[in-house]
Amino acid sequence: MDLGLVVYAMNLAAIYALMAVGISILWSSVGVINMAHGATFAVSGYAAWIFTGAMKPVIAGAFGTSAMATLALAGALVASALIAGALCGLVIYLLAFLPIHDKPNFQVRALIITLGLNIATVQTLLWYFGPRNQGLPKIFGFGRWEVLGTRIRYDQAGTIIGATLIMALTLAWLRYSRKGLEVRAMMQNAEGAAYSGISRQATALPVLMLTGALAGMAAALLSQTIFVSPTSGTIPLVKGLTIALLGGLGSVSGALIAALLVGFLEAIIGAVPFLGQRYVLFGTFIFIIAVLVIRPRGIGGLLDDTRE
Amino acid sequence: MNDKVFHKVGRRPWEWRGKPDGDTERRRRRVPGTKRHWLKWRDVHNDKSLTRERVLADKMPLWWTLGLGAVVLVTPFLSNTMIGVVTIFCIYAAINVLWTLIVGTAGIFSLATLAVVGAAGYVAAACNVYLGVPWPLMFLIGPLTGLVFGAILAAPSTRLDGLYYALLTMGVAEICRVFILQLRALTASGGAITNVDGFIPEDWFLQRPGLLLGFAGAFVLLLGALLVWRLVNSERLGMLLRVARASREDEAFAEAVGIDFRRARLMVFLISSAALGAVGAFYAMYFGSISPQIFSLDTMLLLFAMMVIGGLGRAEGAVLGAAIVTFIDKGLIELGPPRIILVALCMIGVTIFAREGLTGARAQFRDFRNRKSGEARARRTEKGGEAMPEEATEVHDKQELYYRRFNKRLRDRLKQLITPDLIAEHKKDPLGHHSDGLARVLNYFRRGEMADKYVIHRMKPAEERFRIMAISGERGRPPRVVDDREYTDIKEAYHAVFLLRVNDLMES
Repeated sequence: MDLGLVVYAMNLAAIYALMAVGISILWSSVGVINMAHGATFAVSGYAAWIFTGAMKPVIAGAFGTSAMATLALAGALVASALIAGALCGLVIYLLAFLPIHDKPNFQVRALIITLGLNIATVQTLLWYFGPRNQGLPKIFGFGRWEVLGTRIRYDQAGTIIGATLIMALTLAWLRYSRKGLEVRAMMQNAEGAAYSGISRQATALPVLMLTGALAGMAAALLSQTIFVSPTSGTIPLVKGLTIALLGGLGSVSGALIAALLVGFLEAIIGAVPFLGQRYVLFGTFIFIIAVLVIRPRGIGGLLDDTRE
Repeated sequence: MNDKVFHKVGRRPWEWRGKPDGDTERRRRRVPGTKRHWLKWRDVHNDKSLTRERVLADKMPLWWTLGLGAVVLVTPFLSNTMIGVVTIFCIYAAINVLWTLIVGTAGIFSLATLAVVGAAGYVAAACNVYLGVPWPLMFLIGPLTGLVFGAILAAPSTRLDGLYYALLTMGVAEICRVFILQLRALTASGGAITNVDGFIPEDWFLQRPGLLLGFAGAFVLLLGALLVWRLVNSERLGMLLRVARASREDEAFAEAVGIDFRRARLMVFLISSAALGAVGAFYAMYFGSISPQIFSLDTMLLLFAMMVIGGLGRAEGAVLGAAIVTFIDKGLIELGPPRIILVALCMIGVTIFAREGLTGARAQFRDFRNRKSGEARARRTEKGGEAMPEEATEVHDKQELYYRRFNKRLRDRLKQLITPDLIAEHKKDPLGHHSDGLARVLNYFRRGEMADKYVIHRMKPAEERFRIMAISGERGRPPRVVDDREYTDIKEAYHAVFLLRVNDLMES
């Protein structure tokens, strides 16, 4: 296999993993299928676009056109996307979790509310900004590296490294912090966690903000490759959701494996001459359906069974 | 005492009650060919007037008649655009009712409903346009395609559950859309099949008579969907599935009592799919064309929003939601893009506040009101032997309630009479003439219930040794000894009993 293809696949897998892990963590700890993840993605992209647009003259005034300027711009972009994503998480917490988390049919209703939020947000963006694509500043530059005879674009390398870094940080937070322990306890057994004094409300807020920030990070990274538009969140949402399901909802490791699988699958389908880009979604869905029919609870489903 | 406010206990909602003649026999008309009655009349007994009354136990048929009748009566007087909107409402409502059957009755969370409609519509339209099949046969081709497509979709539903199946069906819809878009023959028209024949004559197309005919057809379609709903949900299949649903914790139980709920579920799915196929054929005929738009996520979400706003799993919810959303989406078209935002906000608002959509709001409000008024009653009532208002609604014999209330007030009065003087008077002379107060207290004690009534037991005949016992109140069960004290004087024993009763009175 061509190394360029591997890099492309890793690039896709990195973005998908950011979305899928967010959806998966949220589902297993709080019990919300977050359909507003796509809206979070789009809002973060727009927030980064507006903020960097506003900051550009300031940064140019302070640093000129040195490497520091690019660094500052990168910092502003990532920070604004992360903060916007976390704020979206807060909104979802206030609308889709807090009012109904102790009411009947919580899971279905949370799904419906987040779905409604997604539609409303996307339509508002469409109405306000129009359907035009907006390009974000390229924080990784335009160059490419020569590695082992293939060229790797800076944005691809940056995306893979950035996503891996963020993912590692998230997993470390889950593994080593006190709050992470509480979240993991909720993932294992929500009722048991409640009995041992872990507050659902107090745990849901950081989880929602964290997953929102993950979506924001995905938006910041993907905007290096493609443009930002109101509907740009839909495909990552559908992909993230399918990958989270493929990995077995609630299993972080399953989601990571599934993201890699789907990333490679898409890269390969896109590269095969007689299939091409138009069949990518088609092929992915057929693959996922096949896997689900064989393994009804996804790749990480085995964990689920042993837990029960 | 008179200034105390008495609150009403219980509630009787106003409803019309028939006063049937007691002499004539009861006659109820049945639906021809079945044993079902048209309306669910029930005879009840009125405790107050001691007469027979007739109430309508299920009023939904009336609401249905009123609502659908209003649609039929109003539509011919609307503008051409609005007739189109009402027609689309009827089609969407029909799809939603059938979808409700799948989601609510069968409990299969399928998102491929529109895919079934679309696939059947495409096959029927293709047969008509490319093979020259006459249009009435489309109503045969549509359901058949729906049935086959439904069977393919239903196959994995036994293995997958919930969200996994929803995802799979969403994937199927996407595959259908891409497949249609890839078809070489249709690329010229962007994947759409146009110039489909239909029950509306060519020269009437988009004219007023054509629109009215289209509306009539769509209305019949909606009635058909409701009939399918009634036949599936309220007859054997629906009943079986409701039993299985009631014991969702152990579906094994349903299986153990002989309910093959998997088969019932599949049957419901297949029947609905066939009916959806008919809707698909109608869709292609009514619009004269069919486009890949029907497979898109947006259309699916719009229909899902309808079901959610009306109430998931109820036919009336599906129709009401379709009415609201179609009106916002198609009727307020001059509003532009914000109307979708309005739909989404409706969806969010309804879901946050209502447990089961708009049609469930009434029951939810009643629950809420009952809870609140119960809390309020509990706050302002002290118990003291009286029936709590909550239990008062449960007690059938209302006389009992007033007796308990009287008893409580009597006891309150007697408690004030009991003084050390009174006890001293009784100690001095347990039998014989008493003061008015003591006589009243003793009279109350004598009237007490047999259960737990104190008696004096002479331990050996002709021997002055007594002890106090309490009667069990049950035939055959001996009295129990109250304490181990013995009395050698009968008057002492009388007084001890008196003291025990006074003690009980003061503690009650």
